[in-house]
Amino acid sequence: MQILFANLFKVIAPVKNRLWLVCLLALCAAGATLFLSCGHARGTAASPKMIILGVDGLDPDLLTKFMAEGKMPNFARLAEQGSFRRLTTSIPPQSPVAWSNLITGMNAGGHGIFDFIHRDPKTFQLYFSTSKVEGPKHSFSIGSWVIPLGSGSAEQLRHGKAFWEILDEQNIPNYVYRIPANFPPISAKGKTLSGMGTPDLRGTYGTFTFYTDDPTAAVGAVEGGEVVQVEVKNNRVATNLIGPDNSFRKNSPPATEPFTVDVDPLEPVARIAFQDQQFVLKEGEWSGWLPVEFQLMPVIGNVKGICRFYLKQAHPRFQLYVSPINIDPKNPALPISTPTSYSSDLAKQIGEFHTQGIAEDTKALSDGVLDDKEFLEQSHTVLAEHRRAFDAEFPKFHDGLFFFYFSSLDLNAHMMWRLTDPQSPAYDAALAAQYGTALEEFYEQIDQVLGEVMPKVDDNTTLLVLSDHGFAPYRHSFNLNTWLLNNGYITRKEGVTGDPNEPFSDVDWSRTRAYGLGLNGLYLNTRGREREGIVEPGAQADALLEEIRQKLLAVRDPKDNSQVITRIDFASEAYQGPYARSGPDALVGYNRGYRAGWKTILGAFPAEVLEDNTNAWSGDHCMDFTKVPGVLLSNRKIAAETPALTDIAPTILRTFGIAKTNDMKGQSVFQAR
Amino acid sequence: MFGSHKVKIEGQLLERVKTCSDAAGYESIDEFVIHMLEKETKKIIPDESSTSKEEIQKRLRGLGYIE
Repeated sequence: MQILFANLFKVIAPVKNRLWLVCLLALCAAGATLFLSCGHARGTAASPKMIILGVDGLDPDLLTKFMAEGKMPNFARLAEQGSFRRLTTSIPPQSPVAWSNLITGMNAGGHGIFDFIHRDPKTFQLYFSTSKVEGPKHSFSIGSWVIPLGSGSAEQLRHGKAFWEILDEQNIPNYVYRIPANFPPISAKGKTLSGMGTPDLRGTYGTFTFYTDDPTAAVGAVEGGEVVQVEVKNNRVATNLIGPDNSFRKNSPPATEPFTVDVDPLEPVARIAFQDQQFVLKEGEWSGWLPVEFQLMPVIGNVKGICRFYLKQAHPRFQLYVSPINIDPKNPALPISTPTSYSSDLAKQIGEFHTQGIAEDTKALSDGVLDDKEFLEQSHTVLAEHRRAFDAEFPKFHDGLFFFYFSSLDLNAHMMWRLTDPQSPAYDAALAAQYGTALEEFYEQIDQVLGEVMPKVDDNTTLLVLSDHGFAPYRHSFNLNTWLLNNGYITRKEGVTGDPNEPFSDVDWSRTRAYGLGLNGLYLNTRGREREGIVEPGAQADALLEEIRQKLLAVRDPKDNSQVITRIDFASEAYQGPYARSGPDALVGYNRGYRAGWKTILGAFPAEVLEDNTNAWSGDHCMDFTKVPGVLLSNRKIAAETPALTDIAPTILRTFGIAKTNDMKGQSVFQAR
Repeated sequence: MFGSHKVKIEGQLLERVKTCSDAAGYESIDEFVIHMLEKETKKIIPDESSTSKEEIQKRLRGLGYIE
């Protein structure tokens, strides 16, 4: 180019203009050099990208087994070409705690999430740890109607900055799908959808309804649902869908919407009609999602949801299952996405979907309302929805961070473990023959998703596939509160007449030194903290905790002398941060095979300390955290030999050239230690 | 144990209470005042009625981890 300009200069420039042209030539040459160097720099200094698949409950031992059997070729390739490590989980290893560790880079002392269940020490009011949903604070009455003044609220209880908030501050684009412990979703520049912790429309964590004319059915509330007795009269059932508590009415009775079912007298089919909809279901058939509108107050107040129907049986008994009423993503009654319109946009792309945080209806299986086949059908629907969302959103990813969460391995391991474990008290050989590979099939589907991701992983992309914890058999329950009672740490009032299944029924707090609450929590009844605390904080409390620790570690299962509890972590040692003393005083780490009993979690006192677990919920992870690690795989070489969940947020930030915050406990897994 | 207690409201406060009570559709000033006191005292001493505890447990029991 310089030669061209030089020749032009000779041909056209009179002598008096040569100086001007020399300058022009120099400027053009400099500009050309600059242009070329910019283009070159754009080619090599491309922005970093990151893809994270968050697969709840992906277990390293199962993964290793399935890879070795050739059932997960994409994971095998990633492990071989990149890295595969066990990922140290949280204390305790429960999803809301674990994901909060990942999200903030802190442990519970920093983010304040210690368990699924928290309590107010002054009132012993229990609540779900990551969010609180409240009705309007003020209202007035007109007759039997109560009119709210102002709307209700949903409050996010997790403390600390989420990694995507920091990315937002640095204008790094990001997408976060259904990460747990993000309901209501915190304000974000990117698209986010809330996951675990999102209630159904009734404000619960999943309440199904089961309609039957079977006179032997246990009618009323069951765990996670309601059984409604109906009558088939002239081949018709007339009953009601049960909606949210109607806070517009005094005493807040549930809102209801009538529906009818016309059962064919001969064929196994029925026609269902409600509001302006009618559809036919065969026995064993699921409906799609159907919108339902509950009238809370004439003209002024209504709320919309969606639900699915399953005709379990038309003859000889009528049995109809209706799913929990989910928040309608097209008309969300509570905030479930950022921007607010995103849930609706996504529904328009992929159809309606489960918005309830834990969508798989494990309670329906535990209660025997759905059988294994039916539960698996519902579970596969959940995964299919997630894959449709993935297929809609992943192709749009070109820049920044893409985070996508899958729940299927966790919930199906919880329910299907017994069919892979002959030692489980809930094992059934016939069911195992039919459904013993069900969990493996879900693992294979996740491998297929990874197969869709890997072609998009280029030199500028960091891929992480990780889980919050692994899994273990849950064969036996340990009733901590019963043990504390039997060992003199809890005293109950004389002449106990209360319901032994009610939380802390008839506890004499003036003579009670410790209690258990939640899946792993051990609390001291501390003076100045609990309403009727008697244990002095400091040396007395420390000595008492150590005494209880030694005794619990010495507990043996009389059946086979197995150690029931293999680890107890004191909060003072395990946690750092402003909330370190806000949760349990100690975390009980159960051995593989053991977990806190069903009733002791909410403060009840079953008769036995140890019981067999015959529930379909037969796999778990709320154990000794060292016994249920998660996984971490990457296309890059992981330098850390023992990475932990608290390392993930620093890893994300470092990938985008952002320094971690001072309160983050971990460091990038790609950094040598 | 509970008994009853009388409170005298007069002057400007009474006028304001009347206005609010009418606007909110209460049947009487007494009903309005009682409702407001119920709301405010719940903020200080949360409702520990067995109904509210039962409601909370019912919500939590939907979680598969708990029975």
